[in-house]
Amino acid sequence: MHELLLFASVPAHQHHELLQQLAGLTAMQPRHRLERRLIFKAYRKPGLINTRVGASQDLQGNEMQRLNKMLNGGMFYTQVVGPVSEADFGAQSSAASSGDPDAPMSGTDTGTNFEYHPYSYENQPWKLEFRDIPEAGTRSAVTTRLMASASLPKGDITTPMNAWGYSFVTEYVVEGDVFILNDIVIYLHRVLHYPAESSGSHEPRRQLPPFQQMSPLEKTGSYVLQASIAVQDGGNQEMMKTASQHLFGLREQLKSAVRLEQADRLSLDTRAK
Amino acid sequence: MSDSFNLPLRPLTEKRERPDPLPVEIAQINAQYGSFRDVTEDSLRAKIEADKNKDPWFDKEENDNASADEDTTERLDQLYKRRAAITQFALQAHMEAMFALDFVSLLLSKHTPRQAEMSMSAYLKQVAPLGSLNSEIVNPPPKPESAARDTKNVSRGWRLQNFNSAASKLLDSATRLEAEVASETRYWDEVLAVKEKGWKVSRLPRERQALGVQYGFLEATPIFRDRGLAALRRTNDGSLILDKGLIPLKARTVRVRVRSRGQITGCSKNQPASDNTESIESRILQARDTVYEEELFHELVREARILGSQGVTTRQNLVQFPVSEEQEVLLDLIDSDQISPENDVVSSNEHAVVADALAHAIRILLAYAHRQNLRRRTQLPTPLTPKRRQTPEYQLLRPVMAYLQHSSHVRWLESLLNDINQILKSAGITCDFTATPFSSLSLRRTISGLPKVEALVQEFLLPYESTFSAQLVTPQSSFRVKVRTNVTTPPLGTHYEISVNMPQYPDVRPPNRIGLQDEAASILTHFVLLDILTAITHAKGSSVKGIKQETGHLLTWQAAYPHNGELLALSSTGQHKKMKVSLSRHELTVRVYSIRGIDGFGKPAVDKTPAMRSQTWKCDGTPDQPNLMDFIAEVSKE
Repeated sequence: MHELLLFASVPAHQHHELLQQLAGLTAMQPRHRLERRLIFKAYRKPGLINTRVGASQDLQGNEMQRLNKMLNGGMFYTQVVGPVSEADFGAQSSAASSGDPDAPMSGTDTGTNFEYHPYSYENQPWKLEFRDIPEAGTRSAVTTRLMASASLPKGDITTPMNAWGYSFVTEYVVEGDVFILNDIVIYLHRVLHYPAESSGSHEPRRQLPPFQQMSPLEKTGSYVLQASIAVQDGGNQEMMKTASQHLFGLREQLKSAVRLEQADRLSLDTRAK
Repeated sequence: MSDSFNLPLRPLTEKRERPDPLPVEIAQINAQYGSFRDVTEDSLRAKIEADKNKDPWFDKEENDNASADEDTTERLDQLYKRRAAITQFALQAHMEAMFALDFVSLLLSKHTPRQAEMSMSAYLKQVAPLGSLNSEIVNPPPKPESAARDTKNVSRGWRLQNFNSAASKLLDSATRLEAEVASETRYWDEVLAVKEKGWKVSRLPRERQALGVQYGFLEATPIFRDRGLAALRRTNDGSLILDKGLIPLKARTVRVRVRSRGQITGCSKNQPASDNTESIESRILQARDTVYEEELFHELVREARILGSQGVTTRQNLVQFPVSEEQEVLLDLIDSDQISPENDVVSSNEHAVVADALAHAIRILLAYAHRQNLRRRTQLPTPLTPKRRQTPEYQLLRPVMAYLQHSSHVRWLESLLNDINQILKSAGITCDFTATPFSSLSLRRTISGLPKVEALVQEFLLPYESTFSAQLVTPQSSFRVKVRTNVTTPPLGTHYEISVNMPQYPDVRPPNRIGLQDEAASILTHFVLLDILTAITHAKGSSVKGIKQETGHLLTWQAAYPHNGELLALSSTGQHKKMKVSLSRHELTVRVYSIRGIDGFGKPAVDKTPAMRSQTWKCDGTPDQPNLMDFIAEVSKE
């Protein structure tokens, strides 16, 4: 599956106005969305690489070749995205006082005193989102990249991710509004950071701090407008062309409000060095 | 703005001191008309009149008229001559222009010989050397005083005239602008009035100068969605008109009629047209209603096409579906002023309520479909694929048909069970029938994340189900009928699910799913019959008490062929008796025969003997009939 994108930067003072304009354009109310995003980095597990180079007699089967390619191919950062709601933030304060022994405790978690509260990490649904580095050398004025998404089991995600060869790096929150215009998803969002953490934890948070304590990554509070369209078969030139034409149409429509443009390819690099 | 000031636009014409013009004028009059004696008021008036009537081009026309009389050859001749003359004039003009060019070139050749040479004619080059003509500025002799004054006067006159015309042009445009402002104000007032009523006023996408009002439905099919926008145009006097382009202005509406046995027995009411049809508000409302109705009919036809297998037929402007064997519903799109067409007269208003309810139902369902469209549109889209998604047909007819079909089946079953109940009651048997029609509908159910309205409508899109249950005569015997109607998903149509609990006949099971009414009726009556038989065989213990003293002992009935309704009583005296019970929707009959013996196959050889006793109970319940148990006791006596 491929994804075509256009981006624009929206200063904070224009945010409200643009929300209204987009609501008018798409004839729908904005869908507010809050997402926890965990970043995982792939690492090479020792002992898994068994390339037998030079043995020409040892004909590798197709399967074997593919497996080797997969194992020795590029390593990527991937994101794990979980939808949360505003009520989930700051739920820890009530949790600290009410020690409920019957709460579902997670056996793996020993360090923190994790208790049942409105935000349940154990029931947090997750989605794995893989994004390749945007394609290079395309003459078209949109960012195109390979993408894939998959649903993951609920709850503690680090264990399965570790088992698949990914280690947890960091996490952040994305706050924004979604609009749908035919096939285009318009996402007006910004990145929020957690308040400065005391210890360098290597686990995703089990509780969320109060929402007011979240600070935007961009200090001015500006937003990013992202218009994306997904194409099932990236090899189908016809469809890719249609999709980018849809995006150009949107760019033309929003011309007087924001300037949608291609993103810098290297800034969207997801390869792990 | 408040204190307006007047700006004089016309030039002031000052009266100047003139020398007395009388002697000049007298001389002029003498020259024009001769002696003063001939100049009378009458002759002057006549002259003025004549001048007035005379066309300035009159003389020429006279000439033309004269020439028109000439015949064609002469005219052709003249045409050639004139053409020749024109050509000659043109040539002359050309020549003169060339002379002038030569002259100027020669003059210039003194200063810029190279350039001037280019525009010189060859002849001139031959005869005159370059630069042989010079010019210099000389001071003209001073003009005489009178000439200067004349020039001044003329220019002054010109200027005055120009001022005058400019002033009148300005004044004209001022009045025009004033009218324009007035009508523009009126236009904007009306536009604002429309906007204040809550209509969405916007610029037209194609015609960016014009304003439009949006009255349509955003979630409608694209063709109808785009029709929901009309331009608000201004007439010359500034009033607003709604310009819908090529779409006819007539209001149209979907009419629902019910036809029973070939007669129209119900027609949905039109909503009354608003009284002031001229106001822009009512025009917009009417346009909105019309676009809704037309979309409704469009969707009805679209849905009707896929329902061909269920008896729905479509004509050019009519959708028709059967409810039962003798009743059908007709839907058509009519102009709203055409209220009752003369060809089919509404014979009765028996089903007017049904027709009205249907009319409302399909409109509510369309609104629901619009909401569903919005829901679908605002979901995250699926990735682009070459295959376009087809919008499914809305559910408009299907829920309505299902409801009608279901309620007709339920009513039939209810009446059947009531009839049987009546018969049994008149025979003194008490059964307990309970009916819960539309038990599947629970209007209080709320689905999380759905608005109340949508949850309410959604109830009617699910398959309908009604349940009937009955406690029969024999304890622990009961049956239960579920009637399900399904129009959207297979299995389509209505079917009956009957479950029976009969301890005496544990191996009797009804078919799984019954589609036909007759079949269901026969199965149900059969079960009731079996139950009555069981009751009769068990009757002895209970009913015996009253009669015991008289007779001493009674026969015991046994079910010989229960599925045929036959009972047998064997007596020690050899006087066997046979009882045949039959139950139908209309009556319960019990016949008792006496038989002499049983033949080799265990079949009683009865048929020759006449019936000994027989009793029939009907549903109207004749009062002085014995009750069934008494009758049984009676015939059981040996």
